Amino acid sequence: MVKKMVSAKINGHAVTAPDSMNIIQAYWHAGFPRISGVGCLEGVCGSCRVMVRRVDSGKVTAELACQTMIEEGMQVQFLSFQTPKQHTYRLADFKNSWDVQSQFFDIFPEVSHCRHCGGCDVVCPKDIDVENGVGLAAMGRFREAGELFVECVMCNLCKSGCPEQIAPNQVGLFARRVTAYFHIRPSNLINRLEAIRRGEFRITR
Amino acid sequence: MAGIPYTEALSRYQIAAPRPLRDSSLAVADLLEQFHPDYLKNSTVELKVGANKGDRCHRDLARILQSDSRIDDLALAGVEVLETDVLVIGGGGAGCTAAITAAEQGVEVMLATKLKLGDSNTVMAEGGIQASIEPSDTPQMHYDDTLRAGHHLSDKALVELLAMSGPEVVRWLIQQGMQFEVNKYGDLLTRKPGGASAPRVVYYRDYTGLEMMRVLRESVRNCKVVVREFSPVVDLLSDESGHCAGAVLSNLSMDAYTVVRARQVILASGGIGRLHLNQFPTSNHFGATGDGLVLAYRLGAKLRDLDSFQYHPTGMAYPCHMMGSLITEGVRSAGVQILNALGERFVEELNPRDHVAAAIIRECAEGRGVLTEKGVGVWLDTPTLERQQPGIFERRFPKLVQRGKQGSVDPRQIPMLIYPTLHYQNGGVVIDVNGQSTVPGLYCVGEVSGGIHGRNRLMGNALLELVVFGRRAALHAAANLRRSGYHRVSLEHLSNMRRELMRLGEDMTYKGPQLFPDYANFDNDPDYRDLNYRIILGELGARIRKLVST
Ligand SMILES: Cc1cc2nc3c(=O)[nH]c(=O)nc-3n(C[C@H](O)[C@H](O)[C@H](O)COP(=O)(O)OP(=O)(O)OC[C@H]3O[C@@H](n4cnc5c(N)ncnc54)[C@H](O)[C@@H]3O)c2cc1C
Ligand code: SF4
Ligand code: SF4
Repeated sequence: MVKKMVSAKINGHAVTAPDSMNIIQAYWHAGFPRISGVGCLEGVCGSCRVMVRRVDSGKVTAELACQTMIEEGMQVQFLSFQTPKQHTYRLADFKNSWDVQSQFFDIFPEVSHCRHCGGCDVVCPKDIDVENGVGLAAMGRFREAGELFVECVMCNLCKSGCPEQIAPNQVGLFARRVTAYFHIRPSNLINRLEAIRRGEFRITR
Repeated sequence: MAGIPYTEALSRYQIAAPRPLRDSSLAVADLLEQFHPDYLKNSTVELKVGANKGDRCHRDLARILQSDSRIDDLALAGVEVLETDVLVIGGGGAGCTAAITAAEQGVEVMLATKLKLGDSNTVMAEGGIQASIEPSDTPQMHYDDTLRAGHHLSDKALVELLAMSGPEVVRWLIQQGMQFEVNKYGDLLTRKPGGASAPRVVYYRDYTGLEMMRVLRESVRNCKVVVREFSPVVDLLSDESGHCAGAVLSNLSMDAYTVVRARQVILASGGIGRLHLNQFPTSNHFGATGDGLVLAYRLGAKLRDLDSFQYHPTGMAYPCHMMGSLITEGVRSAGVQILNALGERFVEELNPRDHVAAAIIRECAEGRGVLTEKGVGVWLDTPTLERQQPGIFERRFPKLVQRGKQGSVDPRQIPMLIYPTLHYQNGGVVIDVNGQSTVPGLYCVGEVSGGIHGRNRLMGNALLELVVFGRRAALHAAANLRRSGYHRVSLEHLSNMRRELMRLGEDMTYKGPQLFPDYANFDNDPDYRDLNYRIILGELGARIRKLVST
């Protein structure tokens, strides 16, 4: 459990910190303020997007700063951007689950232009099979597509990486939402709702 | 502190079948009194001003409740002024639910939040949400369990609504597009929370909050809600009759304010973990600094239970950079054992949280804990659970496995070291069944409100509460818009409080609300570059693509 100090560059600032810290902790440790790209600090809110270049591989990757430990020689750039404009749709407007597939293309017309370039896969910090998810949704296989996006934190990196301006994460979320909206009908829940409606349950204080 | 060093304790640890429970030798009341952090000597003080004058309050919270405002009337001269019917403050689960519901009623809604929409405690919730839907369960049992866990100090009218609304809330969430775990017949799976008498928590993997927040955020973006991100509220506004009449938003560089005049204000700014009460680590998100309590208190709202907080028993204690991170109670529901450094079981794992937390603190205080370089903890016997139910971690707790990888501790092989973490604010702003505070025009919903959980909360009741009361407040607010339009708004209420504090000779150098924890160095930040020189998205995309292709 011996701490090693490492030196790295974050947003152009030289930073020295113990290697037991993640990027945000290291930046704070070195005395720099950091607010806008911080959120849950547990890798689920998708706020702390960074681009990271490591010395050994020279490769650049997109990651979440709170989930990435600081390393010797690492170069880090925070990517703070406002949430991009997005498509709007309302689940309540879908009158019939048979029509979802056709409406999907009305809402996300650019999905049919996917180049299968894999850009989205490369940038996804959660290693989601994004391109495949977009492909499945395009085939109307929404339940399967949605399953791939279980861990999506809506960081929007895939969207910024897509040459066709597809919002793969929104496609994934659409797939998940229509699945719940049309197909989750638990009988235990419905029975209880009915019983409550009939007045079978009252609370005595 | 005495105890056994980590490596030594780990080498002693063995996977084993269920172990006998050691006799506690202390009654629960004594255990809490001696070891629960709420009872620490000198941790509370008496409030000197405001609606709760004379009440006990945690020292660190009292400091912010009796702090000076960051602004005065002068700061508002000539600033941008916006108007809306309903202003929602906070972009977590409660705020989004309220905004969606109000917008459905056809009124104008604006939602202002501190950071990104959805950055909140809600997105971090893992365990699930309570609703009595199993045949072996009833709303009455839900009601009774909630009261008992809260030491019979809850507001009964609020708890009754909570228990009766559970099933309807789950239905509403499904209709928003949220998924839950179901069995092969499509029935909802449930698990039993600590302190409950029946299985009652519905969930989605250990990502219940992520799934919920994704869906609610998308819903907000899909209705006519004006969203202002990176816009922390620094104070509420009042009109000549003392009604709440809007709020002052700031930007992150604190150099531009916006006045929002609103007919109704719904405050949903969440909890307090990042104040690190009693120097505890926390499971909360970065912006959980109790701002809402300060805003409401200055306007005259009555608060309650300001000396009662929830320390979740299973916070991570090792590796040290993850201290405070939460391990979901779902793991305890699944049957995991808690062991001290000697390998003894010392507490019934599924007892209420305050009880289990106090028992862990006791083990450590009495020298039966495992020592790390920064602290102390006890074992969560995850390898034995994996042995008993092979594959359970992969299947039900993917987030935990993921987190283990990041800290090089695979919970399936090595027991996780845990210590209580500051998790939840049990009390808060006093509300009625429609979420109304004691100040007209001000509703408070979600973690910022008080009264439902008494002095201890059951797992799954917070997510339930925020939908139940988020919806009720929004419906009530939208149906009761004041007709006379917008009123003259001011910060008059601040001057009164300020005068009173000066009269008492209070130190006025501390400015609240806190907004961010000290270590983020917020107030020393002269210009906030990223947001000032915002990188436009197209350019960013180009940069990413270039880098990816090299
Ligand atoms: C790790 C973790 C796990 C949990 N697990 C569960 C669980 O399994 N089940 C359960 O029922 N509960 C759980 N809880 C508790 C539950 O998640 C929260 O109590 C609940 O989500 C609070 O919702 P909220 O909308 O009131 O607050 P939050 O979700 O915290 O949202 C508050 C919002 O207000 C914003 N805000 C704060 N101050 C200001 C300001 N000055 N101006 C503008 N905006 C502001 C914040 O940025 C945030 O967006 C958990 C909590 C944590 C931390
Ligand atoms: S799918 Fe897109 S939004 Fe989701 S985590 Fe991956 S990059 Fe981020
Ligand atoms: S980046 Fe865009 S175009 Fe390329 S594979 Fe992904 S979705 Fe398709």
